Amino acid sequence: MIVTRKHLPRRTFLRGLGVTLALPMLDSMVPAFGGAQVRAAEAVRRLGVVYVPNGMFMPNWTPEVEGGPLEVTQTLQPLAQFKDQMLMVSGLCSEEGIARPGEGAGDHARAAGAFLTGVHPKKTEGHDIRAGVSMDQIAARVLGQETQLASLELSLESSERAGSCDPGYSCAYANTLCWSSATTPLPMASDPRAVFERLFGTSGTTDPAAWLKARQHDRSLLDMVTAKVARLSGELGPRDRVKLNEYLEAVRDVERRIQMAERQTTRELPAMDQPVGVPEKFEEHAKLMFDLQVLAYQADLTRVITFMMGHETSNRAYPDIGVPDAHHALSHHGGDKILIERLKKVDSHLTAMFAHYVDRLASTPDGNGTLLDSVMILYGSGLSDGNRHDHHDLPALLVGGGAGQLAGGRHMRVAKDTPNTNLFLTMLDKLGVAIETMGDSNGRLDTLSV
Amino acid sequence: MTARWIVAGVGITLLVGVSGQVNHAQTPPATSAASRALLDQYCVACHNDRTRQAGLSLQTLDAEHVGQVADEVEAWEKVARKLRARAMPPPGRPRPDDAAYAAMAASLETALDAAAAAAPNPGQPPIHRLNRVEYRNAIRDLLALEVDERELLPPDESGYGFDNIADILAVSPVLLDRYMVAAEKISQLALGDPSIRPAVEKHTVPYTLWQDGRMSEQLPFGSRGGLAVRHHFPLDGEYVIKLALQRAYGNHIRGLGEANDIELRLDRERIQQFTVGGDGERAPWDAVSRPTFYEQTADEGLEVRLEVNAGTRLISATFLDRGAVVEGVLEPRPAVSSLAYSRDRNAAMALESITISGPFNPRTPDKTPSRDRVFVCYPAAAASEADTEACAGEILSSLARRAFRRPVAQTDVEPLLSLFREGRDEGGFETGIQFALRGVLIDPEFLFRVERDPAGVAPGAAFALSDVELASRLSFFLWSTIPDDELLEVAERGDLRDRTTLEAQVSRMLADPRSDALIENFFGQWLLLRNMSAASPDPDAFLDFDENLREAMTRETALFVESQVRDDRSALDLLRADYTYLNQRLARHYGIPHVYGNHFRRVPVDGARGGLLGQGSILTVTSYPNRTSPTKRGLWVLENLLGAPPPPPPPDVPGLPDADHGDTGRSLSMRERMEVHRTSPVCASCHVLMDPLGFSLENFDGIGAWRTDEDGAPINASSTLPDGTSFEGPSGLRDLLLGQEERFAETVTEKLLTYALGRGVEYYDGPAVRAITSGAAANDYRWSSLIVGIVESTPFQMRRSREP
Repeated sequence: MIVTRKHLPRRTFLRGLGVTLALPMLDSMVPAFGGAQVRAAEAVRRLGVVYVPNGMFMPNWTPEVEGGPLEVTQTLQPLAQFKDQMLMVSGLCSEEGIARPGEGAGDHARAAGAFLTGVHPKKTEGHDIRAGVSMDQIAARVLGQETQLASLELSLESSERAGSCDPGYSCAYANTLCWSSATTPLPMASDPRAVFERLFGTSGTTDPAAWLKARQHDRSLLDMVTAKVARLSGELGPRDRVKLNEYLEAVRDVERRIQMAERQTTRELPAMDQPVGVPEKFEEHAKLMFDLQVLAYQADLTRVITFMMGHETSNRAYPDIGVPDAHHALSHHGGDKILIERLKKVDSHLTAMFAHYVDRLASTPDGNGTLLDSVMILYGSGLSDGNRHDHHDLPALLVGGGAGQLAGGRHMRVAKDTPNTNLFLTMLDKLGVAIETMGDSNGRLDTLSV
Repeated sequence: MTARWIVAGVGITLLVGVSGQVNHAQTPPATSAASRALLDQYCVACHNDRTRQAGLSLQTLDAEHVGQVADEVEAWEKVARKLRARAMPPPGRPRPDDAAYAAMAASLETALDAAAAAAPNPGQPPIHRLNRVEYRNAIRDLLALEVDERELLPPDESGYGFDNIADILAVSPVLLDRYMVAAEKISQLALGDPSIRPAVEKHTVPYTLWQDGRMSEQLPFGSRGGLAVRHHFPLDGEYVIKLALQRAYGNHIRGLGEANDIELRLDRERIQQFTVGGDGERAPWDAVSRPTFYEQTADEGLEVRLEVNAGTRLISATFLDRGAVVEGVLEPRPAVSSLAYSRDRNAAMALESITISGPFNPRTPDKTPSRDRVFVCYPAAAASEADTEACAGEILSSLARRAFRRPVAQTDVEPLLSLFREGRDEGGFETGIQFALRGVLIDPEFLFRVERDPAGVAPGAAFALSDVELASRLSFFLWSTIPDDELLEVAERGDLRDRTTLEAQVSRMLADPRSDALIENFFGQWLLLRNMSAASPDPDAFLDFDENLREAMTRETALFVESQVRDDRSALDLLRADYTYLNQRLARHYGIPHVYGNHFRRVPVDGARGGLLGQGSILTVTSYPNRTSPTKRGLWVLENLLGAPPPPPPPDVPGLPDADHGDTGRSLSMRERMEVHRTSPVCASCHVLMDPLGFSLENFDGIGAWRTDEDGAPINASSTLPDGTSFEGPSGLRDLLLGQEERFAETVTEKLLTYALGRGVEYYDGPAVRAITSGAAANDYRWSSLIVGIVESTPFQMRRSREP
């Protein structure tokens, strides 16, 4: 658990830093550490995605009333006190998650693969996996310029599982939402201890100077490795080079982070005990992972976090709240009243975990407000009615002030079959990440900030 | 391994592909004209250029040149496979007679095999990252250091059912970050860096594990409950070992009514004995009683601080069994997963955890297995700089050779030496070695298995791997780790291509304990046993399930499979064996009498329990938490035993009907609900294949206990396949499978080959799969013949050179 030994002083991030910062090295072809000028003194904007697997029981989610004030439905109850910072968008669709003729089953893999990419995931178990660059990674290319880590990808479930996931689909699809390129799914970390070490290194402290000193030692190691990769590259073929390039990009990512950290040594960070591993109880695990996210934003180590509360087809049972059934099996309740009651409990429980996070964000000072004011979090799922594998009318809730860009407390309904990528484009606009289109987008939503 | 192991005459010739002997077809092969006619008559109605059912057209395939037109090989392999399995045309459509099926399959296979022998295609896997289990094992063998890979590295993605697939094993910034952290920690641990900070590690006993009887072979006789764990002590120094006791729901420490003796041991030597209980104030018993101070704190003094020498040691804490009851005579008790138990503070005292913190006042140890492994030389205190560097060079060459799994040159050692110099300038000789070791551990040649094209080979040509590359393939296949010195030396001498030597190495490696990795990783994933650890049976549905049962089921199958391979039994015995391994807990679950105590022993079993199909692990991982799933069980059989996964279900599948649906006026049973589901033709097309297989196992409940009724309705375990074959119960299913032994054996071969190569089995591997299977058939499909067959096969021995 977080033990805050001292509060972060109120301050404005990066004010007056005015330095040249490096682009995240997403394309190995451009030379390292070329850079874009970062606009200083703007309000910090942060993006979060919190994903619920296997869809939801929609009658308990969607308010009947459109417009404002937002009606707090049963599933939203745990979030009631934040309703003015919540904007529900109904009617969005993830068309690319729907099976194409002949593809058959695999709705869960497709739901996850298409959710943030808006691209139809290629049906394959092998090396040729393909979807598209995900919304969070598009945001990370810009927001990540100013932080040590471009983005964080987290999950509550380890990707370990024997056997196949959705038939015909590589497990990678159902285990992640994040794609840094059309062929590179990013793994999600589920062990809080590993997440802590990713953020703060192995020194056991959150002192940035300790981290930096240790990493400066790594420079020679990284140089050696870079030279070795260059040597190997010459001896190998194109398919091997794909692997080596992945490796080299990872090396550059670490180098970039060291460079970034060298400019940020004055930063004061809250202290936290290093977690010892994955807590046994779901609730403790969920809260710890949310606490780490608060810490990552608070320390400004990253501004983009994607978090899966479970992977698609998650078969987690929730005995602590009286639900012994596997979640995925439960989502296919077949209309059974008892099972539906249990599914509602799961939905509410997940919202309650999320509410813990929102509460922490709301109580953490940031700039002239709180972290909740600066963040824009999408809470939702790639399926609506899991029982029918419905990819239409998805649950989507925007939480947070979006640095003054969002007008909450409302429920808006978009035209039927509006791609959810339209929402993403609009979110990216508000994050200051301007792109024309992504995935299957065909426009923007114009009413988010009315 | 027995002498039988060395199998002469496994029908494969090294390097020139496979000898095309297919012994399962006795019928004379069909002529090309007959083949063409058969395709036209039975197949082309659906598989033509216009409709292309399943993306396949057979309209213009050249039946006179089977195997010789590169673009058509894949289609021919598909046809051969479908014909051999009699899987096409679909039931209900006109089909050729049996002789015609066999003749055409034989003719296709003969032609395809001959073409492959003349121009082999061994595939072209990319460089292959070690998965985290391989990484852990490599560290163990490189540095004599046991590390917990789950703490160091994120899990790996799987493909084709395995987590060692080269194409899938990617590197991300997060992973590299973990590799760097791991390299730092491991190099500190290996050398005993005195700057290692004290850490706290907690080893917890699962709450739902009944701590009765002797819990493991690692604990003393006459003990009850507790835990034994292997723990790595990084340095000589002081450590604090602290025990905590389990609490009941109201936070009362359990079992304080009477005195209990707890024994703490280090490497089996008793270091402390504590007595707890029977001497303090306990709250009066009623539903709302709050624990007294004593009831909350009685375990606070269970702590020792002692000097421990560096190394991996066995720590155990256990209760002395004062009850003097004969092990195994158990009193009635509530299930550990029940409310009754969770609230029962009078239940027997139980251990919650062992926490180890330290080191305090640490010293670098003089001698540890890791240091012995690293320091092949050590410079004298007065050594000149040149002598010191010479020794560093020697150390780093020896590390690099084993880490990169090949002979190393000065160009390999030089970059490591420059890391050494950097470290030495900062902190002396050992710091230098430690820094260079970190370099070795993140070197792409350590983290990846690299196979190079020989100089001068034409692009896209098949060639034999070098001996050292073959040695790596062998060790990663059989051991999931780097080659040992013997294997590497044989390879460096260039002797590994000698067939007798190769087979001797295989047999030596299988006899080595490191081959446990094959059991754990191959069988664990093929049979889905790894999912046992995540299975979460619903306590309401299966009150009898507890951690003891989970462990027992997992162990049963592991021991069973291990005995099969080590005794070199026929792969078919996986299904038809008449024995298994049980302890009392599991025997009671199965209803098998006269098995007492927690230790496992070999027990003869009858029809229903015989073989994998009767084992609790398999039956549990193919069930839902609160009920059986005939579909999942059927799918498991089709996919993993028959290699014939059904076509995936269509999108927008309607769910199962409600339980109270129907006009019978009562709840429908699972089987009845599924039968309603199957009245939809869309659903029926697949479920008619899966469900009947699963129905035959309905006498086993969701955790594998035998039952004769479900909620009062008798179990119906009789089944009929789409082709009309009827069978009943587990024995019926087993006989049905044994009747298709070729398909079963071919499936085993394909799974094992996938695992051995770390890539999906492709159509061009068809000839190798047939050769391995038919070669093994001559030896009753013994594991030795399957494994040697794979090791000697074209895809294992060769690769295709890279094309720019």
